[in-house]
Amino acid sequence: MINDPATSLAPVLRPAATVMDLLRLGSLSSSRLSFSRSLIRKMGRQRWQIFQTRFDLDEHGYGEVIYRIQTPYARYHVVIFSRELDDAHRSDRVIADAWDLTFGLVEGDVEDTLMASLSENVPLQEAGRQHAKLLVISRANRSVRNFSAFVDQLSQGKQPEVALLHSAGYLYRTTAVYGNGKFGIADFSKLKENPDFRTPFSAQMLAVYVLRQFSIDQVEHIAAHRRGAPISLSTALKRYVGIGNSTGLGMAPFLINHPLLINQWVHMRETALALAKQQIPDEASQQRLLELMARASASLAECTIEDSEQNSRNEQVVLELDSVQAWLSQVPAEEDLWIQLTDWADAALSLETQELINTLLIELYPDYVDVLEDSMATEETMDLSPDMPLVQLKQLIETHMDWTLSDELQSTDGRYWFWYRSIEKEEPRLGIRGVDEGEEKELALAIGPRVQRVHCAIEAHLAEDPRALTIDYLMANPRESDIVRRIQTMAGSAYGEIRANLWHRDMKPMHLLRAKLSFLGAQRFDPRGDRWVRVTFFQGAPLLSELNAEPADLNDFDDWSFALSSGTVAEPPRTP
Amino acid sequence: MNVSFNELQSLSWKAFVGMGFSDGQASDAADMLCWMESYGLGGLKALNDALQQYSLEHPYAPPEIVYKDTDVTVLDANNVSVLACSHLPLELAFTQARARGLSVLKLKRCRQRQLIMGYLARLAGRGMNVTAFWRNSQQPLTEQVVGFRANSSVPSIRIYAVSELPEENKENTGITVILANHVDLLPTMRSEYQYDLLARHDEADLLELRSQAEKAGISVESALWEQLREFAKLTLVASTSTSRLGAGPGD
Repeated sequence: MINDPATSLAPVLRPAATVMDLLRLGSLSSSRLSFSRSLIRKMGRQRWQIFQTRFDLDEHGYGEVIYRIQTPYARYHVVIFSRELDDAHRSDRVIADAWDLTFGLVEGDVEDTLMASLSENVPLQEAGRQHAKLLVISRANRSVRNFSAFVDQLSQGKQPEVALLHSAGYLYRTTAVYGNGKFGIADFSKLKENPDFRTPFSAQMLAVYVLRQFSIDQVEHIAAHRRGAPISLSTALKRYVGIGNSTGLGMAPFLINHPLLINQWVHMRETALALAKQQIPDEASQQRLLELMARASASLAECTIEDSEQNSRNEQVVLELDSVQAWLSQVPAEEDLWIQLTDWADAALSLETQELINTLLIELYPDYVDVLEDSMATEETMDLSPDMPLVQLKQLIETHMDWTLSDELQSTDGRYWFWYRSIEKEEPRLGIRGVDEGEEKELALAIGPRVQRVHCAIEAHLAEDPRALTIDYLMANPRESDIVRRIQTMAGSAYGEIRANLWHRDMKPMHLLRAKLSFLGAQRFDPRGDRWVRVTFFQGAPLLSELNAEPADLNDFDDWSFALSSGTVAEPPRTP
Repeated sequence: MNVSFNELQSLSWKAFVGMGFSDGQASDAADMLCWMESYGLGGLKALNDALQQYSLEHPYAPPEIVYKDTDVTVLDANNVSVLACSHLPLELAFTQARARGLSVLKLKRCRQRQLIMGYLARLAGRGMNVTAFWRNSQQPLTEQVVGFRANSSVPSIRIYAVSELPEENKENTGITVILANHVDLLPTMRSEYQYDLLARHDEADLLELRSQAEKAGISVESALWEQLREFAKLTLVASTSTSRLGAGPGD
């Protein structure tokens, strides 16, 4: 049963102190508000059509392929360049300069002169001068093991073993997906009036989604050449093929440098959760939640994750979900069932299980939640309030950024790391303070320590001049204008600041990466240490053929989270 | 070469940090530059001039307050670009105008004064009426007036040459900014003086210029871009096999 929104009470959102804790952010799962999910929904709803217009690959799969995307408003093309790559040069790091393939999403048609320019520059990625008609550029490397095995087995007339995709759910993994004006491509501001790509990262998600189809088409093409006859992967297997992504520290600065955008994303997710918890459960929604739990649990159980710590976390989730399902299948659908469930989870279950349950609750109420996807973008202007009394600025810090004041910054552990950019492709790196080179060029990413320092300086200034204004302080401390502007702006936004000391020795950058990746729609988090992670996008998502067939049941079309290799939903425990 | 606005914003920010600006100062300066370019008002040419005059051996010093009361502030900018010296004095004038209805800021001895429009737009967007005046040259005497209505980020601009030189025509590299909380300060030319109107841009013209600039993208001289990159490199740390580990294993 769904409450009438007109009579609903305003949803009660979780406090920022809970939500913005770095450990919790590092436990988020992607949800139906994630950008990959909302893109697929939109494409289905608006009847987008995507098909090949060029497929010039040799028998080894090298060459050029173009896919056309037709929306109700405009036409785009994804242009892919597949080139031979020596195994020794295959690297996922940003400092790499060659990849198995490179590709871009182009606005409009690809005439010959544009194709010539793309062919010359897209394969160079950062080193090229990219065309302004490109909305996205990216590159990808093969999962060598999966790609070879898929081609080998398919060329022998066999369907590849699905177990191959349990440890890496893809044939290719992207290593960076660039948008917003990078290296000469179109600015995001150009897309703000474009109804197709107003949602952040939707253009990037589309390019990655089309690449998934290419990976399937290319494997079938090479296998057919070897076999001397056409051969296809099964539909179930194609669906279970995703696109990987390998992400390092390069993603971390984004979360710190876009606090208003992060606030918007988290605010929408929290609103969705609060709306879901506010609904009165019935037997159907209870049963649906059990189904989703069973699927999520089975999906996690069948993944092979190399990282032992993440593996343990997944195993714990599976165990805890077993208990939750046992309980949920036996209790009546009381009005406050969702509150009972989340209260129990908060008190007794791991962070990862808590957030997975939240994700699944959000999944239950598309009528309320999906409208929020139109509010994932925001203006990111931060303005100074120079006439704010300085004592009020101090109060804002103590009220809204109190977590920064408790950071222990004097100890070696409390100020252990510093962040910097290397001259090698500006790769963000972490150095040990007092040990590694580059401290004098530290990036100001650790907001907590900066706010604490400003708080101390304000106290000193107020001791001299109790009636001072913010501008008086800044005229005396001009290098603090950006952090003061940030404090004043973010005091009005609950969820923009990640509550962690990014200098601390125990800080795990992995949590930052996972937070952003979950909003993009990543699944199967497989960390490589604490600064690198491999994930999968679009595993289980509908295929181009299903999209082009104009799905009649859009709810079914959208129901692809927590993919299972069997292609079917695991049988949940039945309600009594 | 053509570049995107985001590239210009990002690279100029890094370059300004490399030149010794604070992060906030660099961010404001990059915004000022991009604002000028977005309206086709020659931001890059002014930046080029600023870079030619800049030396790492003599980084910009902060402006010095010459006079200040509750309504008027006079600062000596020591011949540095407004990119480096104007944002906090303008915020001070904004504060005074909020409190007193009107304020005057005089920035003496500053360079690339037209770039100040980028920051004035921000103040106007926060509900302040703003007018700025400066002399572009002494002989012939040309003057420029820029006015923003409160809550509009698009100015009216008048550039004109005065036919009759005043007796006192000492070089004036200052800029005067008037901020009014409640009164429009848009420039209107008086007819009883002899002058040649060299340029007149009103909001509609500038919006059209902005639309053209957005379509055309930004064309930048390779030498200037390279110079920005060189300054930006000063923010980067040399790479070693040890520092590579600072990004994790990667593969």
